[in-house]
Amino acid sequence: MGRKELVGAGKFALLLVIAIVLQVVVTSRITVLGVTADLFVILTVIMAVSRGSLVGAVFGFVAGLLADVAYMQPLGIHALIYLLVGYLVGMFVARFETGTPWAVLLLTGVSSFLAQFVFGVFQFVIGPRAAFFSMIGTQMIPEAILDALFAVPIYLLLMRARVIPTPKVEPTIGSNRSSGQ
Amino acid sequence: MPRNKVAWRRLVFVALIIASLALLTVSFRESSSGPVHSMQQAGLSALSPLQSFGARAAKPFQDGYHWVTTLWSAHRENQKLSADLQKFQGEAVQLQELSQENDRLKGLLDIRDSTVFPTGTAFKVAMVVGKAPTQWESWVQIDKGSADGIQVDQAVVGATPVEGNTSLSGKGLVGKVISVTAHTAQVQLITDGESSVAATIEGPRAQGIVQGSTSGKITMDFVDRDQSVDPKFVIVTSGFGGVYPKGIPVGIVASVGGEDVNIYKQIEVQPFVDFRVLEEVMVITGAVNPVGTTTTTGTGNAIGPGNTTGTTGTTGGAGITRGAGSGSTGSTSTTSTTKGL
Repeated sequence: MGRKELVGAGKFALLLVIAIVLQVVVTSRITVLGVTADLFVILTVIMAVSRGSLVGAVFGFVAGLLADVAYMQPLGIHALIYLLVGYLVGMFVARFETGTPWAVLLLTGVSSFLAQFVFGVFQFVIGPRAAFFSMIGTQMIPEAILDALFAVPIYLLLMRARVIPTPKVEPTIGSNRSSGQ
Repeated sequence: MPRNKVAWRRLVFVALIIASLALLTVSFRESSSGPVHSMQQAGLSALSPLQSFGARAAKPFQDGYHWVTTLWSAHRENQKLSADLQKFQGEAVQLQELSQENDRLKGLLDIRDSTVFPTGTAFKVAMVVGKAPTQWESWVQIDKGSADGIQVDQAVVGATPVEGNTSLSGKGLVGKVISVTAHTAQVQLITDGESSVAATIEGPRAQGIVQGSTSGKITMDFVDRDQSVDPKFVIVTSGFGGVYPKGIPVGIVASVGGEDVNIYKQIEVQPFVDFRVLEEVMVITGAVNPVGTTTTTGTGNAIGPGNTTGTTGTTGGAGITRGAGSGSTGSTSTTSTTKGL
Protein backbone atom coordinates (compact mmCIF):
# COMPACT_ATOMS: atom_id res chain seq x y z
CA MET A 1 0.00 0.00 0.00
CA GLY A 2 1.47 3.31 -1.07
CA ARG A 3 1.60 6.56 0.80
CA LYS A 4 -1.44 7.89 -1.03
CA GLU A 5 -3.54 4.87 -0.08
CA LEU A 6 -2.37 5.11 3.53
CA VAL A 7 -3.38 8.75 3.72
CA GLY A 8 -6.74 7.88 2.17
CA ALA A 9 -7.32 5.09 4.67
CA GLY A 10 -6.33 7.40 7.51
CA LYS A 11 -8.83 10.02 6.39
CA PHE A 12 -11.42 7.30 6.03
CA ALA A 13 -10.83 6.11 9.62
CA LEU A 14 -10.66 9.65 10.98
CA LEU A 15 -13.95 10.52 9.36
CA LEU A 16 -15.58 7.46 10.92
CA VAL A 17 -14.27 8.35 14.37
CA ILE A 18 -15.48 11.94 14.00
CA ALA A 19 -18.83 10.66 12.72
CA ILE A 20 -19.43 8.38 15.70
CA VAL A 21 -18.34 11.06 18.18
CA LEU A 22 -20.53 13.74 16.62
CA GLN A 23 -23.46 11.39 16.20
CA VAL A 24 -23.35 10.22 19.81
CA VAL A 25 -22.42 13.49 21.47
CA VAL A 26 -24.09 16.16 19.35
CA THR A 27 -26.40 15.11 16.56
CA SER A 28 -28.47 12.60 18.53
CA ARG A 29 -29.33 15.37 20.99
CA ILE A 30 -30.55 17.87 18.41
CA THR A 31 -34.16 17.09 17.63
CA VAL A 32 -35.93 18.91 14.81
CA LEU A 33 -39.58 18.09 14.14
CA GLY A 34 -39.18 15.07 16.40
CA VAL A 35 -36.31 13.51 14.47
CA THR A 36 -32.54 13.60 14.59
CA ALA A 37 -30.10 13.70 11.70
CA ASP A 38 -28.18 10.56 10.79
CA LEU A 39 -24.55 11.48 10.16
CA PHE A 40 -23.70 7.95 9.07
CA VAL A 41 -25.97 8.01 6.05
CA ILE A 42 -24.94 11.59 5.24
CA LEU A 43 -21.24 10.72 5.26
CA THR A 44 -21.85 7.52 3.32
CA VAL A 45 -23.52 9.50 0.55
CA ILE A 46 -20.75 12.11 0.60
CA MET A 47 -18.05 9.44 0.40
CA ALA A 48 -19.85 7.73 -2.44
CA VAL A 49 -20.24 11.01 -4.34
CA SER A 50 -16.64 12.07 -3.84
CA ARG A 51 -14.80 8.75 -3.97
CA GLY A 52 -17.02 6.40 -5.91
CA SER A 53 -19.13 3.35 -5.29
CA LEU A 54 -16.39 1.07 -3.93
CA VAL A 55 -15.28 3.45 -1.20
CA GLY A 56 -18.91 4.45 -0.61
CA ALA A 57 -19.89 0.82 -0.10
CA VAL A 58 -16.98 0.06 2.24
CA PHE A 59 -17.56 3.27 4.19
CA GLY A 60 -21.28 2.51 4.40
CA PHE A 61 -20.59 -0.99 5.65
CA VAL A 62 -18.24 0.17 8.43
CA ALA A 63 -20.44 3.14 9.34
CA GLY A 64 -23.43 0.78 9.47
CA LEU A 65 -21.63 -1.53 11.85
CA LEU A 66 -20.86 1.44 14.11
CA ALA A 67 -24.49 2.53 13.89
CA ASP A 68 -25.67 -0.96 14.85
CA VAL A 69 -23.44 -0.87 17.91
CA ALA A 70 -24.39 2.68 18.88
CA TYR A 71 -28.12 2.15 18.29
CA MET A 72 -28.16 -1.34 19.80
CA GLN A 73 -29.65 -2.88 16.68
CA PRO A 74 -29.09 -6.39 15.33
CA LEU A 75 -25.53 -6.30 14.04
CA GLY A 76 -25.50 -6.08 10.25
CA ILE A 77 -28.81 -4.41 9.45
CA HIS A 78 -27.51 -0.85 9.13
CA ALA A 79 -24.29 -2.21 7.63
CA LEU A 80 -26.31 -3.81 4.84
CA ILE A 81 -28.49 -0.75 4.25
CA TYR A 82 -25.65 1.79 4.24
CA LEU A 83 -23.55 -0.52 2.10
CA LEU A 84 -26.29 -0.50 -0.52
CA VAL A 85 -26.66 3.26 -0.17
CA GLY A 86 -22.94 3.82 -0.70
CA TYR A 87 -22.78 1.51 -3.66
CA LEU A 88 -25.90 2.75 -5.42
CA VAL A 89 -25.10 6.43 -4.89
CA GLY A 90 -21.61 5.83 -6.26
CA MET A 91 -23.05 4.10 -9.31
CA PHE A 92 -25.56 6.90 -9.83
CA VAL A 93 -22.88 9.58 -9.65
CA ALA A 94 -20.66 7.67 -12.06
CA ARG A 95 -23.45 7.21 -14.53
CA PHE A 96 -24.77 10.75 -14.48
CA GLU A 97 -21.45 12.42 -13.79
CA THR A 98 -22.79 14.72 -11.15
CA GLY A 99 -21.27 15.85 -7.90
CA THR A 100 -22.71 19.28 -7.26
CA PRO A 101 -24.03 20.30 -3.84
CA TRP A 102 -27.53 20.11 -5.29
CA ALA A 103 -26.90 16.51 -6.27
CA VAL A 104 -25.63 15.80 -2.76
CA LEU A 105 -28.76 17.40 -1.31
CA LEU A 106 -31.03 15.34 -3.51
CA LEU A 107 -29.10 12.10 -3.19
CA THR A 108 -28.90 12.38 0.59
CA GLY A 109 -32.61 13.06 0.90
CA VAL A 110 -33.56 10.15 -1.33
CA SER A 111 -30.97 7.82 0.21
CA SER A 112 -32.02 8.69 3.74
CA PHE A 113 -35.65 8.09 2.90
CA LEU A 114 -34.97 4.77 1.21
CA ALA A 115 -32.63 3.66 4.00
CA GLN A 116 -35.29 4.42 6.57
CA PHE A 117 -37.94 2.76 4.44
CA VAL A 118 -35.93 -0.45 4.25
CA PHE A 119 -35.16 -0.26 7.95
CA GLY A 120 -38.86 0.39 8.60
CA VAL A 121 -39.83 -2.71 6.64
CA PHE A 122 -37.29 -4.66 8.68
CA GLN A 123 -38.74 -3.27 11.92
CA PHE A 124 -42.24 -4.00 10.71
CA VAL A 125 -41.34 -7.61 9.99
CA ILE A 126 -39.55 -8.34 13.25
CA GLY A 127 -41.23 -5.87 15.57
CA PRO A 128 -44.70 -4.71 16.49
CA ARG A 129 -47.16 -4.25 13.67
CA ALA A 130 -46.82 -0.50 13.88
CA ALA A 131 -48.60 2.06 11.78
CA PHE A 132 -46.04 1.82 9.01
CA PHE A 133 -47.48 4.43 6.70
CA SER A 134 -47.90 7.01 9.44
CA MET A 135 -44.17 6.63 10.10
CA ILE A 136 -43.51 7.84 6.57
CA GLY A 137 -44.92 11.23 7.49
CA THR A 138 -43.69 11.48 11.06
CA GLN A 139 -40.27 9.87 10.80
CA MET A 140 -39.00 9.11 7.33
CA ILE A 141 -39.75 12.29 5.39
CA PRO A 142 -38.73 14.75 8.16
CA GLU A 143 -35.46 12.89 8.74
CA ALA A 144 -34.77 12.67 5.01
CA ILE A 145 -35.21 16.45 4.72
CA LEU A 146 -33.07 17.07 7.79
CA ASP A 147 -30.32 14.77 6.52
CA ALA A 148 -30.39 16.47 3.12
CA LEU A 149 -30.09 19.92 4.70
CA PHE A 150 -27.20 18.78 6.90
CA ALA A 151 -25.44 17.08 3.99
CA VAL A 152 -24.62 20.14 1.87
CA PRO A 153 -22.66 22.16 4.46
CA ILE A 154 -20.86 19.00 5.60
CA TYR A 155 -19.98 18.18 2.00
CA LEU A 156 -18.64 21.66 1.33
CA LEU A 157 -16.77 21.70 4.63
CA LEU A 158 -15.09 18.37 3.96
CA MET A 159 -14.10 19.50 0.46
CA ARG A 160 -12.69 22.76 1.77
CA ALA A 161 -10.76 20.88 4.48
CA ARG A 162 -9.45 18.56 1.74
CA VAL A 163 -10.75 15.52 3.58
CA ILE A 164 -12.51 14.51 0.39
CA PRO A 165 -11.51 15.37 -3.15
CA THR A 166 -13.80 16.97 -5.65
CA PRO A 167 -15.98 14.25 -7.15
CA LYS A 168 -14.55 12.11 -9.85
CA VAL A 169 -16.27 9.98 -12.40
CA GLU A 170 -15.47 6.32 -12.25
CA PRO A 171 -16.08 3.59 -14.77
CA THR A 172 -19.47 1.95 -14.69
CA ILE A 173 -20.29 -1.62 -15.47
CA GLY A 174 -20.59 -2.08 -19.18
CA SER A 175 -19.61 1.51 -19.87
CA ASN A 176 -17.18 2.52 -22.57
CA ARG A 177 -15.42 4.75 -20.06
CA SER A 178 -13.96 1.63 -18.42
CA SER A 179 -11.98 0.79 -21.50
CA GLY A 180 -8.85 2.34 -20.12
CA GLN A 181 -8.41 -0.45 -17.56
CA MET B 1 -6.61 -8.99 -7.24
CA PRO B 2 -9.00 -9.04 -10.20
CA ARG B 3 -7.72 -7.55 -13.38
CA ASN B 4 -10.01 -4.60 -13.67
CA LYS B 5 -11.62 -2.16 -11.36
CA VAL B 6 -15.21 -3.08 -12.15
CA ALA B 7 -14.68 -6.74 -11.26
CA TRP B 8 -12.82 -5.78 -8.10
CA ARG B 9 -15.67 -3.47 -7.08
CA ARG B 10 -18.23 -6.18 -7.73
CA LEU B 11 -16.24 -8.65 -5.70
CA VAL B 12 -15.95 -6.31 -2.71
CA PHE B 13 -19.60 -5.39 -2.95
CA VAL B 14 -20.77 -9.00 -2.96
CA ALA B 15 -18.36 -9.89 -0.15
CA LEU B 16 -19.69 -7.07 2.02
CA ILE B 17 -23.29 -8.05 1.34
CA ILE B 18 -22.50 -11.62 2.35
CA ALA B 19 -20.72 -10.34 5.47
CA SER B 20 -23.72 -8.17 6.40
CA LEU B 21 -26.19 -10.99 5.92
CA ALA B 22 -23.96 -13.38 7.84
CA LEU B 23 -23.68 -10.94 10.75
CA LEU B 24 -27.41 -10.35 10.71
CA THR B 25 -28.15 -14.07 10.68
CA VAL B 26 -25.71 -14.82 13.46
CA SER B 27 -26.94 -11.95 15.63
CA PHE B 28 -30.48 -13.31 15.39
CA ARG B 29 -29.64 -16.95 15.82
CA GLU B 30 -27.07 -16.89 18.59
CA SER B 31 -27.86 -16.38 22.25
CA SER B 32 -27.30 -13.04 23.96
CA SER B 33 -23.99 -14.33 25.30
CA GLY B 34 -22.71 -15.32 21.88
CA PRO B 35 -19.60 -13.83 20.27
CA VAL B 36 -21.40 -11.31 18.04
CA HIS B 37 -23.48 -9.98 20.92
CA SER B 38 -20.39 -9.91 23.13
CA MET B 39 -18.55 -7.94 20.48
CA GLN B 40 -21.46 -5.54 20.15
CA GLN B 41 -21.67 -5.09 23.92
CA ALA B 42 -17.94 -4.47 24.08
CA GLY B 43 -18.32 -1.79 21.42
CA LEU B 44 -21.21 -0.28 23.31
CA SER B 45 -19.20 -0.27 26.52
CA ALA B 46 -16.44 1.55 24.69
CA LEU B 47 -18.96 4.15 23.52
CA SER B 48 -20.65 4.59 26.89
CA PRO B 49 -18.08 7.05 28.33
CA LEU B 50 -18.58 9.11 25.20
CA GLN B 51 -22.33 9.03 25.66
CA SER B 52 -22.02 9.97 29.32
CA PHE B 53 -19.78 12.86 28.38
CA GLY B 54 -22.24 13.94 25.71
CA ALA B 55 -25.13 13.81 28.15
CA ARG B 56 -23.25 15.91 30.70
CA ALA B 57 -21.96 18.37 28.13
CA ALA B 58 -25.40 18.80 26.61
CA LYS B 59 -27.23 19.18 29.91
CA PRO B 60 -26.52 22.91 30.43
CA PHE B 61 -27.73 23.64 26.92
CA GLN B 62 -30.82 21.49 27.35
CA ASP B 63 -31.52 23.16 30.69
CA GLY B 64 -31.10 26.57 29.07
CA TYR B 65 -33.46 25.67 26.26
CA HIS B 66 -35.95 24.28 28.74
CA TRP B 67 -35.68 27.45 30.83
CA VAL B 68 -36.38 29.68 27.83
CA THR B 69 -39.36 27.61 26.73
CA THR B 70 -40.67 27.58 30.29
CA LEU B 71 -40.34 31.36 30.54
CA TRP B 72 -42.24 31.71 27.30
CA SER B 73 -45.27 30.00 28.71
CA ALA B 74 -44.88 31.24 32.28
CA HIS B 75 -47.35 34.11 32.05
CA ARG B 76 -50.12 31.99 30.65
CA GLU B 77 -49.31 29.27 33.14
CA ASN B 78 -49.47 31.80 35.97
CA GLN B 79 -53.01 32.84 35.07
CA LYS B 80 -54.10 29.27 34.85
CA LEU B 81 -52.45 28.36 38.14
CA SER B 82 -54.04 31.32 39.92
CA ALA B 83 -57.45 30.07 38.88
CA ASP B 84 -56.51 26.55 39.86
CA LEU B 85 -55.23 27.73 43.22
CA GLN B 86 -58.60 29.07 44.23
CA LYS B 87 -60.23 25.84 43.24
CA PHE B 88 -57.66 23.72 45.02
CA GLN B 89 -57.82 25.77 48.19
CA GLY B 90 -61.43 24.72 48.47
CA GLU B 91 -60.55 21.16 47.73
CA ALA B 92 -57.68 21.28 50.23
CA VAL B 93 -60.06 21.86 53.08
CA GLN B 94 -62.12 18.96 51.95
CA LEU B 95 -59.05 16.80 51.50
CA GLN B 96 -57.81 17.69 54.96
CA GLU B 97 -60.95 16.30 56.43
CA LEU B 98 -60.64 13.22 54.27
CA SER B 99 -56.98 12.92 55.26
CA GLN B 100 -57.91 12.87 58.92
CA GLU B 101 -60.43 10.20 58.23
CA ASN B 102 -57.84 8.34 56.20
CA ASP B 103 -55.38 8.49 59.09
CA ARG B 104 -57.97 7.13 61.42
CA LEU B 105 -58.77 4.27 59.06
CA LYS B 106 -55.07 3.56 58.56
CA GLY B 107 -54.70 3.35 62.30
CA LEU B 108 -57.47 0.83 62.36
CA LEU B 109 -55.80 -1.18 59.66
CA ASP B 110 -52.34 -0.86 61.21
CA ILE B 111 -50.88 0.77 58.15
CA ARG B 112 -47.87 2.93 58.40
CA ASP B 113 -47.18 6.15 56.53
CA SER B 114 -45.85 5.62 53.10
CA THR B 115 -44.01 7.02 50.12
CA VAL B 116 -44.70 6.92 46.43
CA PHE B 117 -43.25 3.48 45.98
CA PRO B 118 -43.76 0.30 48.03
CA THR B 119 -41.80 -0.16 51.24
CA GLY B 120 -38.45 -1.86 51.00
CA THR B 121 -37.99 -0.83 47.42
CA ALA B 122 -34.31 -0.34 46.63
CA PHE B 123 -33.35 2.06 43.88
CA LYS B 124 -30.31 2.74 41.79
CA VAL B 125 -30.25 6.23 40.31
CA ALA B 126 -29.01 6.39 36.73
CA MET B 127 -28.52 9.07 34.15
CA VAL B 128 -30.05 8.84 30.70
CA VAL B 129 -27.21 8.94 28.20
CA GLY B 130 -28.90 7.92 24.97
CA LYS B 131 -32.21 7.29 23.35
CA ALA B 132 -33.75 5.49 20.41
CA PRO B 133 -32.81 7.20 17.15
CA THR B 134 -36.19 6.62 15.54
CA GLN B 135 -39.82 6.54 16.54
CA TRP B 136 -40.06 2.87 15.70
CA GLU B 137 -38.81 2.03 19.15
CA SER B 138 -38.99 3.84 22.46
CA TRP B 139 -36.02 3.16 24.69
CA VAL B 140 -33.35 5.01 26.53
CA GLN B 141 -29.84 4.05 27.47
CA ILE B 142 -28.69 4.63 31.04
CA ASP B 143 -25.22 4.87 32.53
CA LYS B 144 -25.58 1.99 34.96
CA GLY B 145 -25.10 -1.65 34.06
CA SER B 146 -24.52 -5.09 35.45
CA ALA B 147 -21.50 -3.83 37.41
CA ASP B 148 -23.92 -1.64 39.35
CA GLY B 149 -26.39 -4.44 40.02
CA ILE B 150 -28.70 -3.73 37.12
CA GLN B 151 -30.41 -6.77 35.63
CA VAL B 152 -32.78 -7.46 32.79
CA ASP B 153 -36.49 -7.08 33.63
CA GLN B 154 -35.94 -4.67 36.49
CA ALA B 155 -38.54 -1.91 36.58
CA VAL B 156 -37.45 1.68 36.05
CA VAL B 157 -39.19 4.75 37.41
CA GLY B 158 -38.73 8.45 36.85
CA ALA B 159 -36.42 10.58 38.96
CA THR B 160 -36.76 13.87 37.13
CA PRO B 161 -39.34 16.08 38.83
CA VAL B 162 -41.41 17.97 36.29
CA GLU B 163 -44.13 20.53 36.48
CA GLY B 164 -47.43 18.82 36.53
CA ASN B 165 -50.81 18.52 38.01
CA THR B 166 -49.95 16.04 40.73
CA SER B 167 -47.26 15.40 43.26
CA LEU B 168 -46.39 12.29 41.30
CA SER B 169 -45.35 14.20 38.19
CA GLY B 170 -42.05 12.80 36.97
CA LYS B 171 -42.04 9.96 39.46
CA GLY B 172 -44.07 7.38 37.61
CA LEU B 173 -43.21 4.21 35.77
CA VAL B 174 -40.69 4.63 32.95
CA GLY B 175 -40.29 1.05 31.74
CA LYS B 176 -38.09 -1.94 32.26
CA VAL B 177 -34.53 -2.98 31.58
CA ILE B 178 -34.30 -5.10 28.44
CA SER B 179 -30.56 -5.45 27.99
CA VAL B 180 -27.51 -4.84 30.09
CA THR B 181 -23.81 -4.35 29.51
CA ALA B 182 -21.22 -3.84 32.23
CA HIS B 183 -21.77 -0.10 32.52
CA THR B 184 -24.90 0.62 30.50
CA ALA B 185 -28.40 -0.71 30.21
CA GLN B 186 -31.20 -0.33 27.70
CA VAL B 187 -34.59 0.58 29.13
CA GLN B 188 -37.72 -0.10 27.13
CA LEU B 189 -40.17 2.75 27.78
CA ILE B 190 -43.83 2.09 28.44
CA THR B 191 -44.50 4.13 25.30
CA ASP B 192 -42.81 1.46 23.18
CA GLY B 193 -45.12 -0.45 20.88
CA GLU B 194 -44.07 -3.75 22.41
CA SER B 195 -44.48 -2.66 26.02
CA SER B 196 -47.31 -4.13 28.12
CA VAL B 197 -47.83 -3.38 31.78
CA ALA B 198 -50.46 -5.04 33.94
CA ALA B 199 -52.18 -2.20 35.75
CA THR B 200 -55.02 -1.28 38.03
CA ILE B 201 -57.16 1.83 37.99
CA GLU B 202 -57.49 3.08 41.51
CA GLY B 203 -61.01 3.78 42.56
CA PRO B 204 -62.91 1.15 40.61
CA ARG B 205 -59.88 -1.20 40.96
CA ALA B 206 -60.36 -2.11 37.32
CA GLN B 207 -57.65 -4.33 35.89
CA GLY B 208 -56.18 -3.92 32.45
CA ILE B 209 -53.05 -3.73 30.35
CA VAL B 210 -51.25 -0.47 29.68
CA GLN B 211 -49.76 -0.54 26.20
CA GLY B 212 -47.52 1.79 24.24
CA SER B 213 -47.54 2.57 20.54
CA THR B 214 -45.26 3.99 17.89
CA SER B 215 -47.22 7.23 18.06
CA GLY B 216 -46.06 7.63 21.67
CA LYS B 217 -49.57 7.44 23.07
CA ILE B 218 -50.30 5.13 25.96
CA THR B 219 -53.57 3.30 26.25
CA MET B 220 -55.09 0.96 28.76
CA ASP B 221 -56.89 -1.96 27.26
CA PHE B 222 -58.88 -4.96 28.48
CA VAL B 223 -60.88 -2.94 30.99
CA ASP B 224 -64.43 -4.20 31.08
CA ARG B 225 -67.07 -1.87 29.69
CA ASP B 226 -69.20 -2.17 32.81
CA GLN B 227 -66.42 -0.75 35.02
CA SER B 228 -66.99 2.86 35.97
CA VAL B 229 -63.87 4.79 35.01
CA ASP B 230 -63.63 8.56 35.13
CA PRO B 231 -60.85 10.83 33.91
CA LYS B 232 -58.21 11.72 36.49
CA PHE B 233 -58.27 8.33 38.15
CA VAL B 234 -54.76 7.18 38.98
CA ILE B 235 -53.39 4.06 37.30
CA VAL B 236 -50.82 1.93 39.13
CA THR B 237 -49.09 -1.33 38.32
CA SER B 238 -51.00 -4.36 39.50
CA GLY B 239 -47.95 -6.57 40.05
CA PHE B 240 -49.29 -9.28 37.77
CA GLY B 241 -46.70 -10.75 35.47
CA GLY B 242 -43.89 -10.46 37.97
CA VAL B 243 -41.81 -7.81 36.19
CA TYR B 244 -43.25 -4.62 37.64
CA PRO B 245 -43.74 -4.48 41.40
CA LYS B 246 -47.22 -3.70 42.54
CA GLY B 247 -48.21 -0.14 43.24
CA ILE B 248 -45.94 1.89 40.96
CA PRO B 249 -47.83 4.92 39.65
CA VAL B 250 -48.14 4.83 35.86
CA GLY B 251 -50.33 7.80 35.02
CA ILE B 252 -53.84 9.13 35.14
CA VAL B 253 -56.85 8.40 33.00
CA ALA B 254 -56.87 11.11 30.34
CA SER B 255 -59.98 10.06 28.49
CA VAL B 256 -62.33 7.14 28.33
CA GLY B 257 -63.81 6.02 25.07
CA GLY B 258 -64.99 2.97 23.28
CA GLU B 259 -67.46 2.01 20.67
CA ASP B 260 -70.64 0.18 21.51
CA VAL B 261 -69.41 -2.95 19.77
CA ASN B 262 -66.27 -3.18 21.92
CA ILE B 263 -66.33 -5.26 25.04
CA TYR B 264 -63.49 -3.25 26.52
CA LYS B 265 -63.09 0.41 27.26
CA GLN B 266 -60.63 2.49 25.29
CA ILE B 267 -58.71 4.42 27.90
CA GLU B 268 -56.05 6.93 27.04
CA VAL B 269 -53.40 7.29 29.73
CA GLN B 270 -51.53 10.46 30.60
CA PRO B 271 -48.23 9.23 32.06
CA PHE B 272 -46.71 10.86 35.10
CA VAL B 273 -43.37 10.89 33.35
CA ASP B 274 -42.61 13.32 30.55
CA PHE B 275 -40.53 11.08 28.32
CA ARG B 276 -39.27 14.03 26.27
CA VAL B 277 -37.28 15.47 29.18
CA LEU B 278 -36.19 12.27 30.85
CA GLU B 279 -32.76 12.89 32.37
CA GLU B 280 -32.49 10.72 35.44
CA VAL B 281 -34.26 7.51 36.28
CA MET B 282 -34.29 5.08 39.17
CA VAL B 283 -33.94 1.38 38.57
CA ILE B 284 -35.79 -0.71 41.12
CA THR B 285 -33.08 -3.16 42.08
CA GLY B 286 -34.90 -4.75 44.94
CA ALA B 287 -38.34 -4.97 46.39
CA VAL B 288 -39.46 -6.76 49.51
CA ASN B 289 -42.05 -8.51 47.47
CA PRO B 290 -42.98 -7.80 43.88
CA VAL B 291 -46.61 -7.73 44.81
CA GLY B 292 -46.15 -6.24 48.22
CA THR B 293 -46.32 -8.07 51.50
CA THR B 294 -50.01 -7.91 51.43
CA THR B 295 -52.23 -10.42 52.96
CA THR B 296 -55.83 -9.96 52.27
CA THR B 297 -58.68 -11.70 53.91
CA GLY B 298 -62.19 -11.59 52.66
CA THR B 299 -63.11 -9.84 49.47
CA GLY B 300 -62.29 -6.33 48.53
CA ASN B 301 -59.27 -4.29 47.75
CA ALA B 302 -55.81 -4.42 49.11
CA ILE B 303 -54.23 -1.16 50.06
CA GLY B 304 -52.71 0.48 47.03
CA PRO B 305 -49.86 2.89 46.98
CA GLY B 306 -50.23 6.54 47.61
CA ASN B 307 -52.96 7.93 49.72
CA THR B 308 -55.38 5.65 48.12
CA THR B 309 -57.42 3.34 50.14
CA GLY B 310 -60.00 1.59 48.16
CA THR B 311 -61.11 -0.06 51.31
CA THR B 312 -63.06 1.07 54.21
CA GLY B 313 -62.06 -1.33 56.88
CA THR B 314 -64.57 -3.44 58.60
CA THR B 315 -66.88 -0.62 59.37
CA GLY B 316 -67.38 0.69 55.87
CA GLY B 317 -67.07 4.31 54.92
CA ALA B 318 -65.50 6.36 52.20
CA GLY B 319 -62.10 5.68 50.76
CA ILE B 320 -59.98 8.29 49.07
CA THR B 321 -58.85 7.94 45.51
CA ARG B 322 -55.88 9.92 44.34
CA GLY B 323 -56.96 12.34 41.67
CA ALA B 324 -60.50 13.31 41.18
CA GLY B 325 -62.09 9.99 41.81
CA SER B 326 -64.62 9.45 44.45
CA GLY B 327 -64.13 7.01 47.26
CA SER B 328 -65.56 3.61 47.24
CA THR B 329 -67.27 1.72 49.89
CA GLY B 330 -66.92 -1.86 50.68
CA SER B 331 -66.75 -4.40 53.37
CA THR B 332 -63.13 -5.31 53.28
CA SER B 333 -60.96 -6.48 56.08
CA THR B 334 -57.41 -6.04 54.99
CA THR B 335 -54.06 -6.35 56.63
CA SER B 336 -51.26 -4.92 54.64
CA THR B 337 -47.78 -3.62 54.97
CA THR B 338 -47.77 -2.22 51.49
CA LYS B 339 -47.07 1.44 51.60
CA GLY B 340 -49.36 4.09 50.30
CA LEU B 341 -48.47 7.68 49.77
